[in-house]
Amino acid sequence: MQRIVVERSGGVPVTKRAHVGAVASGNLEVLCEPPAEARATIVVSTSVDGFEPVWRATLERFLERYPIAAAIEINDFGATPAMVSLRLEQALELAR
Amino acid sequence: MTPTALRRSYVESTPRERIAALADPGSFREILDPFARCSSPYLAEQGVVAQRDDGVVVGRALLGGRDVAAVAVDGRFLGGSIGEIGGAKIARVLERARDGAFLLLDTGGIRLQEANLGLLAIAEICDAIVALRERAPVVAVVAGRVGCYGGMSVAAALCSQIIMSPVGRFGLNGPEVVEQEAGIEELDARDRPAIWQATGGVRRVEQGHADVLVEDDLDELARALRDAFRASPNRERLSLERLRNRFAQEAPR
Amino acid sequence: MRGAIWARALLEGARAAGGFPESVVVRDGTIAGQAYRAIAVVPHSGARFPRARAGEFGLDEGIGVAEAVRDAPPDAAIVSIVDVPGQAFGRREEAAGLHLSLAAAVEAYIGERRRGRQLFSLIVGKAISGAFLAHGMQSGWIGALDDGGIEVHVMPAASVARVTRSSDDEVARIATVVPATARDVATFARFGALDAVFDVADPLAPAAGEIERVRTAIDRARRAQLGTRAPVERLQSPAAHAHRALAREVRRRVDQAW
Repeated sequence: MQRIVVERSGGVPVTKRAHVGAVASGNLEVLCEPPAEARATIVVSTSVDGFEPVWRATLERFLERYPIAAAIEINDFGATPAMVSLRLEQALELAR
Repeated sequence: MTPTALRRSYVESTPRERIAALADPGSFREILDPFARCSSPYLAEQGVVAQRDDGVVVGRALLGGRDVAAVAVDGRFLGGSIGEIGGAKIARVLERARDGAFLLLDTGGIRLQEANLGLLAIAEICDAIVALRERAPVVAVVAGRVGCYGGMSVAAALCSQIIMSPVGRFGLNGPEVVEQEAGIEELDARDRPAIWQATGGVRRVEQGHADVLVEDDLDELARALRDAFRASPNRERLSLERLRNRFAQEAPR
Repeated sequence: MRGAIWARALLEGARAAGGFPESVVVRDGTIAGQAYRAIAVVPHSGARFPRARAGEFGLDEGIGVAEAVRDAPPDAAIVSIVDVPGQAFGRREEAAGLHLSLAAAVEAYIGERRRGRQLFSLIVGKAISGAFLAHGMQSGWIGALDDGGIEVHVMPAASVARVTRSSDDEVARIATVVPATARDVATFARFGALDAVFDVADPLAPAAGEIERVRTAIDRARRAQLGTRAPVERLQSPAAHAHRALAREVRRRVDQAW
């Protein structure tokens, strides 16, 4: 079990809540909500330890590409970076 | 018959999509959705990340204009297992329901990680189903990848009507559990055709264990669900006479 | 063994009722002058289904219990004597529909209770999984002997370690931090699931005084009409307030939103 937090200030706030995915093997759950302040906060809980650098790279890349402000929670069960990006984009699609 | 290309698969849909497609359009109001963040505190200690709805979607919906409770168990999270929170969600909406309930059961039964709390909840769910079905229809749908097993298979058997698809499987002990407990010579869990033949939707409807067989299609299921609400409850499924005859056929000679 | 011993010992002037499988012991008798039917599922080496010969709850046992409950004498309360190591695990059982057999027993218990018949349970050994769900859990009053041989759980201990791929030590450690996964009587009682716990020196040979204490408790519970309580009423107990607070909170929030 590991917890990873990535934050970045500024960005355009999302306007709606969105929920996608599930905590199933190779999958993840994403909860995306309008933020309290103008910043993006992504909090990851993962059952697979030791992949913090991969998580950071994947999440930084997402925020680079989509400069949003949002409160995002990720509950992960060993998803690949590609799956993580897909779910984040699905959530963003529904939230803005 | 809907052309295959236009079909919307139940199996490929999420629990919320399933409820939305089966209930009257736009009528579903979820209670304790993921943003309520009502999730199991017992899992982290056991190395499992919790899903924020505890793997159970419940709420209030209209079905053909009736004010019903809607339940969908998420088979993706921990095998659709029932713990303290998910169990309490199901039991309470069944107790509150006015004109009936439908339960989309994709569940392996009690969650091992919350053992006795799941057991207590399922005893409450069984009682709530029997109480509700005395005055309104309680319809179970078993059409997901996991099937319906364990304590929840007992709860499902108490429902007024049961709808299955060929994908669904319905039994007390899943094949892996039987193999593990009784040995591979008793049952080979990898022999998938044999397992579907013995416990899948086609067979269960043939045996009268379930009432209606529909294809893996949300529109067909929506129609079947409305029909099941109009049908009279199946009081034969648990008839002791019938079960006795059925079991006599299975007894080793 | 325990089930048969207590089914024989608990009632006064008990007589065996016939017409049931040999693995289902049914005895009619009295406690404090009132009628009771005691029902126990017991091992029977000659049972026709090989996976249900060691006291497991199998196809025939579900029908037998359902019938014993449904056809009990009109004025009798029921005492379910619980010592069930689990349900039968077998290919034939699944093909024939073991879940229906368990459901028939559950339906019989719930139906009788809703019609006003009082239901009591006494856990004297193992109370495992579907077997306990089908035989004992629907009673309005549940008592248990306090003894190392009592086990309340959803799976046999050895299977838990196999399924979760953990060591026995790890399973034991988790039981200390997640009480819901423990197996002992005291922990189960914490959830408000038990109405009484009885000290018995030797459950295989209960002394007259020990049996009398159980009888007295059941008689009191019957006079207070506790045997018709639904399972949900257990959530009202002080123990459930403390240790099933989450279930209570979920129910409260459902009510708020309904």
